[in-house]
Amino acid sequence: MSAKKHETHTMSELTLGKLDRDGAIREAVARVSGDTRARFLGKAAVGGAALLEALTAPALAGATASSDVAILNYALTLEYLQAAFYTEAERLGAIRGELKPIPRQLGAVERAHVAAIRAALGQAAVKRPAFDFRGVTEDDTKFLKTAVAFEDLAAAAYKAQAARIKSAALLAAAISIHSVEARHAAWMRFLAGVTPAASAFDQGKPISEVKAIVASTHFVVAHPKMASRKNPTYKG
Amino acid sequence: MSKARARAHDDGGYGLDQLELGIVPAGADDSDASSRAEFFARAVVAGGALVAGGVLVAGFPRLAASAPSAAQDKKILNFALLLEYIEAGFYAEAFAKGKLSGELQEYVSIVRRHEQAHVAFLKSALGKNARKKPTLSFGETTSDPAKFTAAAIALEETIIGAYNGQAANLTKPTLAMAAQIVSVEARHAGWIRAIAGENPAPNATDEPKTATQVQSAVNRTGFVRSS
Repeated sequence: MSAKKHETHTMSELTLGKLDRDGAIREAVARVSGDTRARFLGKAAVGGAALLEALTAPALAGATASSDVAILNYALTLEYLQAAFYTEAERLGAIRGELKPIPRQLGAVERAHVAAIRAALGQAAVKRPAFDFRGVTEDDTKFLKTAVAFEDLAAAAYKAQAARIKSAALLAAAISIHSVEARHAAWMRFLAGVTPAASAFDQGKPISEVKAIVASTHFVVAHPKMASRKNPTYKG
Repeated sequence: MSKARARAHDDGGYGLDQLELGIVPAGADDSDASSRAEFFARAVVAGGALVAGGVLVAGFPRLAASAPSAAQDKKILNFALLLEYIEAGFYAEAFAKGKLSGELQEYVSIVRRHEQAHVAFLKSALGKNARKKPTLSFGETTSDPAKFTAAAIALEETIIGAYNGQAANLTKPTLAMAAQIVSVEARHAGWIRAIAGENPAPNATDEPKTATQVQSAVNRTGFVRSS
C-alpha cells in the first residue's frame, strides 16, 4: 500500500453502520488519498455500496497484510474480466430478447466491484489488462454461456479465498461480494435453462485452477486489438 | 438518480464516476418485470407477518464480535442450524402439500434437499451440542404460490445476511465450510427471485446482518411456535 503515514483506524465491529457514520473516514480519506478515493466514497451511497466502502478502511490503517493485497489483486483481475465482458456487450448492443438488460444490470455491479477494490488497493492495484472477447459479447447464446461460466467461476474463486483473508473488514466485504456472484450465477443459469443451484454445497476453486480456466478462454490478450473485426452497425 | 443514470449510460468505462450507475438502478426500471410480484415480495420482506400467532424466538446467541474460537463457532453454527431447520421445514412441508406447480414445483423439489443437507451437516458438526428442531407452523405459505414465493424470498435473504454477518466471527476452518453453504443460499435467492420476476441480484453486495436483525426477521415470519 502507500508508504504515506496514514491515520490509524481500529475496527472493533464489522457492522457497517459503524464504519463511517460520522463521515470521519471519508474526511480522512480525502486528506490522505486525494481526489480519487474520496470521490469513490462520496459517490458510493447506492444500494449495496456501503459495504464496498469497508474495502477502503484497511488502506487507511496502512496495515494490510501482503497476502490480503495479493488476494485483492487476484479478485480485481476477475472483476476486470467480468466488468469488461458486460460493458462491451452493453456497448455493442447486440444482445437481445430477455437477455437485453443483462449487460447493463450486471455490468453496473461488476464495475462497482472493480472500483471498490481498486480504491482499496490504491497504488498497489494491478492494471486492467486488454481483452478480446472473440465475439461472445455479440451473440446471445455465447454471451449467456460465458456469463454462466464467469459467474460460477467468480463465486468459486471468492469462496476459496475467504478463509485466507486476514483482515476482518476485507473478509466482510469479500464474502458479501461472493454471495452476489452466486446470485448472478443462479440468475444466468435460470435464463440458460440449467439448474440454478446444482448441489447443496458449492465448492471453491483454488487460484491455480481459476487462472488456468481464464487462460483457456484466451479473452485476456497482451495488447489491445487494433481494429474491430466487425463493421459498425447503424442504430438510428 | 435519473440524472446519474442518464450520464452513466454515456460512458461504459471504468472511471470511478461509473459507480453512481452502480447498483442502484439494476433492474429498477425493468418495466417488464412483474411489479405486482415485486411489490408483494417487498412488502413481506419489509415486515408483514407471514403467519399470525408465532412466538418470538428466544435464545439467539449474543454474538459479540470477539476473537473466533471453537466455543463461538458452536454458538454461531447453532444459530445457523435454527435458520436451516426453518428453511428445511418450510420446503419439506411445501413439497409434501403438493400445491405448487411448474417452476415453483421444480424449485421446491430441489431446494428442499439442499436445506435438509445443510441441517444434517450442521447437526453432525455440532454433535451433542446441536439444538433441537423448533416447532414450526407455516400456514398458507406452503400451499399458496404467491405466499410461498414471498416467504421463500424472505427466508433466503435472511439466511444470506446471517451467514455473511458471522463470517468474520468464525474460525477459518468453519468459515471455509460456511462459505460452501452461503453461496447455495444465494443461488436459491437468485432463483426464486427470477421465478417471481424480481431482480435476482439487486445490490452489489449482500450486506451482513447482525444476529439481532436476523432474529427480528425470523420473528416477523411467525413461523416459529416454540424454540
